[in-house]
Amino acid sequence: MNQFALEVFGAQLVNSLAIGSIYAILVVGFNLLLLIGGIFQYAYPHLVVMSMYICWLVLMATNNNRILGILAAILASIVINLATEPLFRPLVKRKASVHTFVLSLGIATIAMDVMNRMINTGRPIAFPPQFSGLQSLVKVGIVTISIGQFLTIFGSIVAMFIFIYMLYRTKQGRAFRAMAQNLFVARVLGIPITRQRILSYAIAGLLGGISAVFFAMTLGSVWSTIADILALKVLVAVLLAGMGNLKGGLISAYIIGIIEGLSLAYLPGDWTNAIVFGFVIAIVIIKPKGLFGLRA
Amino acid sequence: MGKNNKSTLLKIDNLSISYGVVNALRNISLEINKGEIVTLIGSNGAGKSTLLGSVLAMHSVDNGEVIFCGEDITHLPTERIVASGICLLPEGRGIIPLMTVLENLLLGGYYLNKTDLEKHLKYVYERFPILKKRNKQQAGTLSGGEQQILSIGRGLMSAPKLLMMDEPSLGLAPVMVEELFKIIIDLNKEGYSILLSEQNARKALQCSHRAYLFETGNIILKGTAEEVANDPMVREAYLGMEWRKNP
Repeated sequence: MNQFALEVFGAQLVNSLAIGSIYAILVVGFNLLLLIGGIFQYAYPHLVVMSMYICWLVLMATNNNRILGILAAILASIVINLATEPLFRPLVKRKASVHTFVLSLGIATIAMDVMNRMINTGRPIAFPPQFSGLQSLVKVGIVTISIGQFLTIFGSIVAMFIFIYMLYRTKQGRAFRAMAQNLFVARVLGIPITRQRILSYAIAGLLGGISAVFFAMTLGSVWSTIADILALKVLVAVLLAGMGNLKGGLISAYIIGIIEGLSLAYLPGDWTNAIVFGFVIAIVIIKPKGLFGLRA
Repeated sequence: MGKNNKSTLLKIDNLSISYGVVNALRNISLEINKGEIVTLIGSNGAGKSTLLGSVLAMHSVDNGEVIFCGEDITHLPTERIVASGICLLPEGRGIIPLMTVLENLLLGGYYLNKTDLEKHLKYVYERFPILKKRNKQQAGTLSGGEQQILSIGRGLMSAPKLLMMDEPSLGLAPVMVEELFKIIIDLNKEGYSILLSEQNARKALQCSHRAYLFETGNIILKGTAEEVANDPMVREAYLGMEWRKNP
């Protein structure tokens, strides 16, 4: 009995870490769009879910060619994110940040409708087992990990590491950080800010595409409304850390993944969201700048 | 004012800029010759900063043009103007606080290839050893004077043909102001052409060749620094009361 309880705990912890990893990538992409793109992209997770739909369509069309499926998800995410840039550009130029939120709400709604009406007649889509890797299990001690979970946790950490290296060790990263800290000075220094902004959409798209693949692997199926739930989770992680705090966002993404996973296992399941948001409300009231302060 | 085009570095012709209904600049014409220090004096909001920004195409222009080295740069993207050799040291020094001194300097040479970058970095370190000493330190933790030196060093990283400084003495301790104007004169002796916007009119006029007096978006007086400094109006409004304005 005790052994069994431990195994359940282990499985839940692994699951939480996998979900937390996906949130973490999304939070980084969201913060990148916030700090460099200058937009409040609520629809970012919606575009990620849409990329999962496109991944699924390609899998169906190519008789489950995994490589093509993964490429399709990543490419779709980059293209869709880039396609929103011209819509946001006039708003960003006149510094209408609240309006970017309204525009992204509109994009989210349209994306949801497209997924609901045009793909698989609005029913949830299930990824084939050979793609999701739900079946293939690896047992490490008392903890059981699926291939999908392993790839998600490991792959996310690698992706984060590469991103942070880029940000803190390269010329590209210096340009991004300068823009985030002082846009006027960045412009005066000759950093081509419009080109950098477009690049931030592309990188956010790349990160979104990676998270779409991992999400399909850990979850095995997806439906359109999950985008709204994801968007809220991303928002929560971002608020929890303090808006635009990149490192803090990473940590709070894992915190939320773990709270969610464990409350799902040990508390009445229907209350998961209420518990996560209860926690966030408490943080926002007690620490208005977030757990980690602004822009660390 | 001779029209010796050979030595004209920057020429602003009949430039007007407005923010909404407010005319920030009205038909401004001025020029800077190679090797000169030219000072723009005038009170807050007179349009000096707007003029410096407009050289980098930071504002939309109503009419007029900006010519740099014979090329019309009025509507070029800012990054191309910077790459062509104009550098602005922004008001308040504009250092990036959460980056190290070295990272700030590297940003100043954003357009350089690796060899030039290293060469210029070596030059800046030699010129301002304090920057080398502090190179790993976060720029936001430097003192005001050190930040101003970092700002100048960062500007020199691109070896600009024209160095524009927006209120460089603002908020500096008197000793540092002395030091700053010494650096400006030295840079000019090394061959840098400098366009200076200053509220510290006395100091600025002492070190510059020519000057323009701005008031509410217009140039109301121009001439050699000596002529401007000897103008009764300037003496009363900008030099006489200066000790009160810049304690």
